[in-house]
Amino acid sequence: MHIPDGFLSNPMAISLNVVSAANVLYAARRTKIDLSGRMVPMMGMLAAFVFAAQMLNFPVLGGTSGHLIGGSLLSILLGPLAGSLAMTTVIVAQALFLQDGGLIALGANIFNISIVTCMSGYAIFRLLGRNAGGGKRLFLAGFLAGWFSTVISAAFCALELGLSGAIPLRIGLMTMVGYHAAVGILEGMLTAGVLNFLRKVRPDLLALEGVGKFRIPDWIGAVLFVAIPAAVLVMAGSSTLPDPLEKLLETSPLPPELGSGNIPERLASTLRLEEYLFRAAIFIVLIGLGFLAVRLTRRRRSRS
Amino acid sequence: MRHSFIDRYASLDSPLHVLEARSKLLAFTALIVGVLCIPAERGSLFFIYFFAAAILMGVSQIPLTYIVGRTFLILPFIVLAGLAAPWKGGYLGLGILFIRAVLCLFLLVLLTNTTRFVELLRGLRRLGCPQILVMNLGFLYRYLFVLTEEAMRMKQARDCRRVGRARFREELKILSSMIGTLLIRSFERAERMHSAMLSRAYAGDFPVVSPRKFSLRDAAFLAGVALFITLSFWIR
Repeated sequence: MHIPDGFLSNPMAISLNVVSAANVLYAARRTKIDLSGRMVPMMGMLAAFVFAAQMLNFPVLGGTSGHLIGGSLLSILLGPLAGSLAMTTVIVAQALFLQDGGLIALGANIFNISIVTCMSGYAIFRLLGRNAGGGKRLFLAGFLAGWFSTVISAAFCALELGLSGAIPLRIGLMTMVGYHAAVGILEGMLTAGVLNFLRKVRPDLLALEGVGKFRIPDWIGAVLFVAIPAAVLVMAGSSTLPDPLEKLLETSPLPPELGSGNIPERLASTLRLEEYLFRAAIFIVLIGLGFLAVRLTRRRRSRS
Repeated sequence: MRHSFIDRYASLDSPLHVLEARSKLLAFTALIVGVLCIPAERGSLFFIYFFAAAILMGVSQIPLTYIVGRTFLILPFIVLAGLAAPWKGGYLGLGILFIRAVLCLFLLVLLTNTTRFVELLRGLRRLGCPQILVMNLGFLYRYLFVLTEEAMRMKQARDCRRVGRARFREELKILSSMIGTLLIRSFERAERMHSAMLSRAYAGDFPVVSPRKFSLRDAAFLAGVALFITLSFWIR
């Protein structure tokens, strides 16, 4: 489910990077974690735990094996903000160590696997299992949190890929959601199983979630953070949807010299404009880089 | 137990290794962005970028087989994703997607294998990544092997004790208690470690021993990469 570089269209990748960066910065500020406190090694250790737990695979039908994804488990244990920070750590590490997921697609991967999974998993668990003393209710809440979070995150992944034009939207969406509805069963069972195990062995850990408690403004923020990217997705992906420009040209009475040329040609000219914009953007970025380089060397010299 | 270390070649001493982390992060990000901005109708640009990547590989002194091996480890996923559905752009579109992904992977492998992880983290921090995320990454890097080994031991113990395969529900129960046990052990280890850190005067930061500094070399490298990208897009 990790998206490699090259699959997303550039506007999509950029907008998701911005969204994810804003989210991570918000979570880092909002959790107000004391950097010398016990939460820092705890979160790092839990991130490493997710990495290690993914090694423990489970034989599924037909020689393949499944493993825990862990986003909903982390967000249930740590709360959605700290949980999504820990999960973000896992994703960055997977991109850097294992090259699993690209560098520019990192924002998309963080959004799908960390933010969406943690928010939805936590929300479902809170709604269903808030006062669950244990037993079946806790199991059900854990299962649904795991299952839904997997499916929703897969749907977002397919949506982004489809709107980027990498895969046909409808088929991709159906395949991804269908496949992950099956994978999600394992994830749900494991999440519920681990929660049940913890309730029996160390119930105090289930009450740990004091870090970054989620309040009403956060819920509003969370909805916005999901709604805005969704809108951006639709806009950024308009290239695969019926092109509004094309429709406009077909329906509106245009002067003959404009209307007579065939549409692909005109679209090609807009593409060229886009390319020029890219060049300008690259140029500005490069000037910025040069500026930064000069400043850094100067500062270092003045220090030494 | 043996691990394949994730940044095995990161402590070599090539011209690429001695650069500062920030300049490498910026330069490689710029190169990957460059690759992603190549329009489909200018396929020849891919060769130029391949050439640049090859030069960087040569300079880095990392065995070519290692880089290619790492890249092709990920490749099945890309192929799977690529073939998941019939393509809009036909075989050409598929090919371009493939080349783009491979090129980006080459660059990413180069970046992470020419920079020691501690320095990479320091670079990220100084580029404005939140401190908490950087510290999490640091802990993850340090304890990944410990916990993975723990997980492997538990797996071995399970495999030793059972013959064949249990029923689905039993298997699931075993696995979830294994994961639960691993979780509790991680918690306890984190607590032990935190007191150990406090008793060694930890105050919320990890100092890096003799960090590399941003030098003229880095400026030259950045300028070179910038020039390359600009030229590659300007000249037809």
